[in-house]
Amino acid sequence: MSEVKRCLIIDDDPDDQEIFMMCVKNLDNSIDCKTSGDGVEAIALLGSDGEVAPDYIFIDVNMPRMNGIECLTEIRKIEKLNDTRIFMYSTTAEEKRVNESKKLGAEDFIVKPIRMSELKEKLRHIFQSSVE
Amino acid sequence: MGVGENRLELRSIATQGNLYRRMIEEIQDYAIIVLDKNGFIQNWNKGAEKIKQYSEQEIIGKHFSIFYLPEDFKDNLPQRLLKRAEDTGVASQEGWRKRKDGSRFWGSITITAIHDENKNVIGFCKVTRDLTDRKEAEDNLRISEERYHQMIAEVQDYAIILLSVDGVIENWNAGAEKIKGYSSEEIIGRSFQIFYTSEDREKGLPWHLLSTAKEAGRAVHEGWRVRKNGSKFWGSITITALHNKSGTVIGFSKVTRDLTQQKIAEEKLAEYTAELEIQNSELEQFAYVASHDLQEPLRKIQTFSDLIKENFDDREFAEKYLNKLDLSAKRMSELVRSLLNYSRLSKDKPDVTEVDLNAVLREVKLDFELLIEEKRATIANEPLPKVQGNHMQLGQLFSNLISNSLKFSKEAPCITIDSKIVERSQITNAPKNLTNGVYCLIQFKDNGIGFEKQYRDKIFSLFQRLHGKQHYAGTGIGLALCKKIVENHNGFISAEGELGKGAVFYVYLPVVDLR
Repeated sequence: MSEVKRCLIIDDDPDDQEIFMMCVKNLDNSIDCKTSGDGVEAIALLGSDGEVAPDYIFIDVNMPRMNGIECLTEIRKIEKLNDTRIFMYSTTAEEKRVNESKKLGAEDFIVKPIRMSELKEKLRHIFQSSVE
Repeated sequence: MGVGENRLELRSIATQGNLYRRMIEEIQDYAIIVLDKNGFIQNWNKGAEKIKQYSEQEIIGKHFSIFYLPEDFKDNLPQRLLKRAEDTGVASQEGWRKRKDGSRFWGSITITAIHDENKNVIGFCKVTRDLTDRKEAEDNLRISEERYHQMIAEVQDYAIILLSVDGVIENWNAGAEKIKGYSSEEIIGRSFQIFYTSEDREKGLPWHLLSTAKEAGRAVHEGWRVRKNGSKFWGSITITALHNKSGTVIGFSKVTRDLTQQKIAEEKLAEYTAELEIQNSELEQFAYVASHDLQEPLRKIQTFSDLIKENFDDREFAEKYLNKLDLSAKRMSELVRSLLNYSRLSKDKPDVTEVDLNAVLREVKLDFELLIEEKRATIANEPLPKVQGNHMQLGQLFSNLISNSLKFSKEAPCITIDSKIVERSQITNAPKNLTNGVYCLIQFKDNGIGFEKQYRDKIFSLFQRLHGKQHYAGTGIGLALCKKIVENHNGFISAEGELGKGAVFYVYLPVVDLR
């Protein structure tokens, strides 16, 4: 893992992007956090040659064009992301979707919390732990 | 031959004659009596006594007509029998006779004329057998058979018919007439194929059933059959092979029940069930997406209020998030309103009237007047037809499609609306359950941002957005609502698009009565 932690949040909701970034910066201002508006955009970014693989990717489930599960499937095909820890990040956790994403290699399924403190706590835990 | 020998022979003949007489006298199973030329009883045996109950003393010298019934005298039966025996040598007859006690027996009678050397009739021998038991058994069988035939003939609920080995109708009952409409005169002698639809005949179904019955003993089938008047009924059919004693098939019985009512009820039930299943899955989807999409603005409202509380002193920050909070609340109420609209559409059958689509379009244009001006949009249309439908729902349909075109545009929106009449067969991708007939196709074409081909069907799903929220607002309900409205009108909606070049929405509404 590189010294500077890199993180990508894929979410079509600008508010949710903002809240997420706010929490990450609040936890550790040194984390390099990028955003993508949807799966197609993210795959284009991650697949480009010059792009360094992030350490963490958070994927919203309900997105236009390419949904989170499809996006996860595509990410799994990109070799340089083999060590990247991937988390699903959605308003609701439908059992079917949770199982599907875990089968596809997502480490966890995070329900978007109501309180920012909750999200911060979850992210702190993720950033401090190593791969399970 | 010597004299002694002759005498011996005569004695032998006399002894033989005696023996013969004794034999006749002792016979019990046959009444054997001798009549004189005029029919008076000369001789009586044990069989006669047993059958007719008179003793020899009682009966000798009586006329043989004593055994006959009163009705036999009307046509002079005893005399006619004697006459026939006299003329032809023998007369046979079977009939009811009377015993001494008045009871009856079924007699089989043979009267034989007795001649002298000159061939003159000198009397008659009358042999009678009591066949009452056989007669009664025969009668019972005949009555039972008659009753059985009557029963089949009068059965109303089943068509019970007899077919020859090659399927020719030989017998017809009341049920067959009631179910199939033919009288027995019309149908007997014709092939049973006549009850089958032309498709089934082409497939060889009637012969297939006969050969199955021939091989397996029985063939069972359910299917549409044709009545005399051409109407169809759902028949449940059993064809059974009939065999003779040596096991050869000599024909078939065919029992048909008219299960049309049950079939219709079953089909209706299946239809209801399918509809319920669709509604159920729609409801499930509805509940899931509703909870998801409603959760979103709610969660944001709480998060934003948290942020504001934490940064209460930073007026600029607080104002920014108060605005966002406000937007989320607006979005929430928009969602609730659209969802309500959608669920109302799912629930109610609309009132149907004649709707002038030109008027509908005029109203929608008026609603969007400001937006059209602001976006410098043009809406061009050919004269539109009148259709059978619900004015309010069709208004909503037009409003959603036009608002979509206005919303998803980069330059000045240019919308054209035209219509034409098409056949069901011309509609590509039409769902299977779309009924045959003529449809009015209304096309909405725009020069907007379009969409990629693979989203052609997806865009009509509830809460399916193709465009990120940062660029285009929307609840994800609009096109789902359009689909619902068109389906409520027994129509079909589809779309085609090309990214960056625009989209066309095709709305097909049936021209026939909607009822």
